[in-house]
Amino acid sequence: MNRRGKKLFYLVVLLLCLLLAALPWIGFSYAVVWIFLLAVYFTLALSYDIVGGYMGYMNLGHSTFFGLGAYTTAILLNQGFNLFAALLGALLLTAVFAAVVSYPLFRLRGAYFALATFGLISLIEVLTTNLRDLTGGSGGISTPPGNHMIPSYYLVLAVAGGTMVLSQIVARSKFGLALFSIREDEEVAAAFGVPTTLYKCLALIISSAPASLVGGIYVWNMTYISPNSVFGLEIALSPIIMAMLGGTGIMIGPLVGAVFITVVQEFLWTKVPYFHLAMYGTVLVLLGLFMPGGLVRTRFIKPFIQWLGLGETVDYFKNADAERIP
Amino acid sequence: MTADFIQLLVGGILLGGIYGLAAFGLSITFGVLNVLNLAHGEFLMLGSLMSYGLFIGLGINPFMAAILVIPVFMLLGVGFYLLLLKPIMDKPPHQLLVASILVTLGASLFIEDVTAFFWERPVTGISYSLPPMELAGVVISSTRLLILLFIFALACGMQIYLKKTYVGKSIRAIVQGREGAKIVGIPISRVSALAFSIGMALAASAGAFYVTLFTVTPTMGIPLTIKYLCVVVLGGLGSIVGSIFGGLILGVAETLTAYYCGAEWSPTIAFILLILILIIKPEGLFGAKK
Amino acid sequence: MAAPFLECKEISKTFGGIEALTHVNLTVEANSLTGVIGPNGAGKTTLFNIISGALLPTAGEVIFKGKKISGMGPARVCRLGIARTYQLVRPFNSLCAIENVLIGLGFGRTTPLSKNNRVAEAIKILQFVGLGDKINHVAEGLTLVEKKHLEIARALATGPEILLLDEVVSGLNPTEVTQIIETIQQIQAGGITIIMIEHILKVVMALCERVVVLNYGVQIAEGTPKEVVSDEAVIEAYIGKFEDTEGNPDA
Repeated sequence: MNRRGKKLFYLVVLLLCLLLAALPWIGFSYAVVWIFLLAVYFTLALSYDIVGGYMGYMNLGHSTFFGLGAYTTAILLNQGFNLFAALLGALLLTAVFAAVVSYPLFRLRGAYFALATFGLISLIEVLTTNLRDLTGGSGGISTPPGNHMIPSYYLVLAVAGGTMVLSQIVARSKFGLALFSIREDEEVAAAFGVPTTLYKCLALIISSAPASLVGGIYVWNMTYISPNSVFGLEIALSPIIMAMLGGTGIMIGPLVGAVFITVVQEFLWTKVPYFHLAMYGTVLVLLGLFMPGGLVRTRFIKPFIQWLGLGETVDYFKNADAERIP
Repeated sequence: MTADFIQLLVGGILLGGIYGLAAFGLSITFGVLNVLNLAHGEFLMLGSLMSYGLFIGLGINPFMAAILVIPVFMLLGVGFYLLLLKPIMDKPPHQLLVASILVTLGASLFIEDVTAFFWERPVTGISYSLPPMELAGVVISSTRLLILLFIFALACGMQIYLKKTYVGKSIRAIVQGREGAKIVGIPISRVSALAFSIGMALAASAGAFYVTLFTVTPTMGIPLTIKYLCVVVLGGLGSIVGSIFGGLILGVAETLTAYYCGAEWSPTIAFILLILILIIKPEGLFGAKK
Repeated sequence: MAAPFLECKEISKTFGGIEALTHVNLTVEANSLTGVIGPNGAGKTTLFNIISGALLPTAGEVIFKGKKISGMGPARVCRLGIARTYQLVRPFNSLCAIENVLIGLGFGRTTPLSKNNRVAEAIKILQFVGLGDKINHVAEGLTLVEKKHLEIARALATGPEILLLDEVVSGLNPTEVTQIIETIQQIQAGGITIIMIEHILKVVMALCERVVVLNYGVQIAEGTPKEVVSDEAVIEAYIGKFEDTEGNPDA
């Protein structure tokens, strides 16, 4: 593949970005909402993958951060704080939560960790439902009304873009390398000096940040959330499925997965009103049996990704054998 | 007050026995396959539904149902294993983890959704009871007692099976060391299939009893599997007997919490116990320290 | 009299009811090459695990340069200067060779190097072990002997003073064995102390200055290779189990 091809590709990407920026003014309000949700899911998928893909700990409870961010923002907004203060509060609270739960949860490995983190969602959901005075209980919570669609659209795109940058920075850093080593063989990583306990906790905190932010932006835009809408099965599983379908452990994966699933959902689900979960389930089973590495690692797409240079690390030695996606 | 408390205790132990039985099955599966079956709770649900169907349709009591489900679900279990698990068993550990979670979670969602489609309304519990007994001045439902004894017998039977029979010993051999078992000539795939199907059958059997106490809904599968996880961790990873004790503790804790704090808090107790045991003794009550 | 470089004092280790090691004493001088041999299950890897900090001894202590290190975790021991390889190779499989070494460089040293220096140093180490043309190759795709060299490179990256090699020669053909022996000799020439677990008699005789023999967790002999090979207790323990490099029992 040649230089011109690459330049052309990046030009297309630039045009897409300009299109995204101009979208609200062109007048496709449905598209704006659609992209908003896509950006939310994408950010969740990407931030999940820092712990799930880079570090190898499948945090099925990632949406807990989203829900906590949403509720904290809602409560703070209702107390009169402005959006940025509310988002900051949500960020801090969720980060502390992540730090606290990492202590017991990271004593579990593999599937036990996955299942326990999944259970965390229902625990927080029950707590949210029961602490009625604070959260409005199962009836949900409303924030001050107003049409925030356009600013939240740009805000969420900014967070999504920022998460992409964050993901790349982590992947190319010494910290990121340590996370990869933990995924490969945690015991050996520790034997070679990697501070595994500390780094696992840090990774979880870092991954919680984008999730809590988009949670806050989400509630600001929707002006209403309920425990089910932010802790439910759909918001819990969709981002993870996107990350896995696209390709876990590599930044471009969740992007591919998010676009793929959102597009398919758009066309398929309006046609077939039943069996949504069953279809999700079948996709998961097929993924697990045939493509656990995701779409970007299949024979057709993999060379394209390598050509773009979108593997996680830079080429240390201009060697044609650079096979970075295993 | 004490009479009430004892009733609660008995109820809790009974519930715990049901949890323990199902978790016992999960423990075996994990020990042999090194795969945590996220669809485990679905099989309890299906077992409940089958028991309900047998009761309403054919008038078969839950004890019979608990026995009848075993062969049915063993067959289903073998099918599940061959279709979904065998293809991924040889992958390296990290890929196995991802693949197994994808496959079992996917199966879980699929089973749940399809069941919900065909069975819309929640299945109310079977009201099946024998006349109550009186024991030292406390009235105990003899149904519950019988169920408890039954579960105990089943668990003991399983333990004997594991310790005395050739197949049982093969299962334990694999749990202790897969490579070693291979060298000794144990047919890993066949024993794995068997162990998995036993696990499924135990879950379904527990489900047959579950429906006598509780309402069964199609979506109860995943929360149940999470509970079993708590039980297995509480009892100790790798300790099959530990799962039963873990189950008993959870059952009692849940029943007491529901009574004293209100029913809406009882789903949280499983998780709180999990977090506590992880902080205090991560290997679990019966687990081995490294 | 100077304190020995590395000292294992009365090391015992029990697992459940099994005594893996009983009262093992080992003294290692700086820059020496010591061999640890014994039949399978003698407790050799357990000893390595205890020295490297991966396991706690049930009794006894490990003293390194006068400081007690048994009880520190493996990460600290690594930073203090003891690195190891594994009997069944454990490289970071989906990372490439240079990244494997970079982990050692980045985390295994007390004073880590700056980023640019790290990459240059990693390339140097890989060239030293003969993997200079495999820098970007994913570890999983390397051959067995390359993986063993990679493990050595990763261990060297931590700047160790003691290198623990666990059956580094097993599974290699004669050419590969010669390759690795050369590498080991060069490492020792660079000032590093080496302790190696080994099965293959030829390697032990050729390389080691001192040999310790374990059997069922008990130390049954210690001395130069010549002394040990003619020791009665050792012969009894092995009775013909010594292997030459092709794996054939001694005639």
